Amino acid sequence: MRLVKRYFGLLFGGSLVLALAAGLLLAQVEQGSYEPSTLGRIQQSPPVALSDDSVYQVSAYPLYPPELAEGAGRAETEGFCSLCHSTRYITMQPPLPAATWEAEVTKMRKTFGAPIPDPSAALIIKYLQAHYTPDTRK
Amino acid sequence: MPSFTGPGANPHWNSVGPWVSEPQKAPLLLLTDRGVQLETPRSYFQTAFTPNHAFYVRWHLEGIPNAVDLKSWRLHVEGNVTKPISYTLADLVRKFPAESIAAVNQCTGNSRSRLQPRVPGGQWGNGAMGNARWTGVRLRDLLHAAAPKTGSLQIQFQGLESGGGPDGYGSHFFMKSLDLSNPVLDECIVAYSMNGEPLPMLNGFPIRLVVPGYFATYWMKCLTWIRVLDKKDDNFWMKTAYRVPDTARGNTTPDDVKAGIVKMIPANRMPVRSFLISPDGDAKVPAGMPVQVRGIAFSGYGGVAKVDVSADGLKTWQPARLGEDFGAYSFRAWEFTWTPKAPGHYTLAVRASDSKGNVQPDQPVWNPGGYLWNRIERQNYFVGAAE
Repeated sequence: MRLVKRYFGLLFGGSLVLALAAGLLLAQVEQGSYEPSTLGRIQQSPPVALSDDSVYQVSAYPLYPPELAEGAGRAETEGFCSLCHSTRYITMQPPLPAATWEAEVTKMRKTFGAPIPDPSAALIIKYLQAHYTPDTRK
Repeated sequence: MPSFTGPGANPHWNSVGPWVSEPQKAPLLLLTDRGVQLETPRSYFQTAFTPNHAFYVRWHLEGIPNAVDLKSWRLHVEGNVTKPISYTLADLVRKFPAESIAAVNQCTGNSRSRLQPRVPGGQWGNGAMGNARWTGVRLRDLLHAAAPKTGSLQIQFQGLESGGGPDGYGSHFFMKSLDLSNPVLDECIVAYSMNGEPLPMLNGFPIRLVVPGYFATYWMKCLTWIRVLDKKDDNFWMKTAYRVPDTARGNTTPDDVKAGIVKMIPANRMPVRSFLISPDGDAKVPAGMPVQVRGIAFSGYGGVAKVDVSADGLKTWQPARLGEDFGAYSFRAWEFTWTPKAPGHYTLAVRASDSKGNVQPDQPVWNPGGYLWNRIERQNYFVGAAE
């Protein structure tokens, strides 16, 4: 009997009078709950025109640019980081300490040879620290 | 789903990225779109072989092929050899005996999002792995035909992957090397077939190197150059990247790294792991009903000897039934019948042991690259009243 009350509590906001009137069947299951959804959220890859020649081909790889946090240094971050890779490399990370972000930018410049001038690098580091550390990430 | 996890450990089995659609692939979980990094969802590991269309994807650089013309493409065996040779794909298929092996390909950073403290890098859940039957040419046959000169030390592998960085940097080319004296070379295959089909472009069409038991970093995709070296490869991807502490389990601490006292070596074989795949805990289990709990296990050091399940917080273990043995480097499916008697909150833990006597530990691992995670996995369940 407890189950009956709980279900009708859910459906009718605690109105036991209505619950009893609706009968026992409704008490055993909750039915017919749907919600509007959006079709096509994941698009299919388009087919590629094939022939019997020696070229093996796939369609272009899709880009999914993330929304970077708004703030000073965002344009430099998007511009320079995107030279080699998508900025999803930033948004994918867990919140990282400020020193780690500085080390990452230094690694991109020194180890990977990213052509980022000093003033821009300083801006990028500041931007990442302002939005992507445990204290600042939203 | 949140769009990121941390600073605590990722509590989910997979990473938290959205589903995306990529060429020749079923919807997979997005880590990054350029370079392409896609994770295989948990449900695809219910069987010992991972379908090609669901096999995870991990590239390092943005310049990867959308098309390969086999009229001009060649596999070049060159460098410190007596007879440099170039092969067409047809040469590889026709001129050499075909060899097959079932082998697990696992990213060195699989499960990186488990580490505490978190480390930067691809924030994989557990799905940066897959098992396939690979068919192709023995690497030894190709090396034998080219006849490496005396004094050769390493074999370098390079594929059709390049990036926007300057020449001489790791951001320009991706290359990996193995010692010529490494016995694993005897087991390596240059594979043109994956689960009986051509490789998906994103998994390395037309051929990729298969290094059974080793982490995927060596399994060069779109393999195009096999280069015999007379000195140690000091390119970024060997000298700096994919290195692990030369300690038990590759474990260390942030303090020891900061102090500069950790000796690092190239990552190599995969430690023993096991995974509980289903049921995945998304739904309640009715009390008193027998449930088939299923999963997979593997080890880069040789076959899976046993898989045990604990329902009492690792105090006692019961053996799982092992599925068909597809070889020492394959996933081994396992199954366990579990009958929770009363409603409540339960945790099952799974632990594998390999044929070399390695047993999965329950201690976490930490190293700066986020590699080698193989801690015992757990799954929580709510068991509900059935009457």
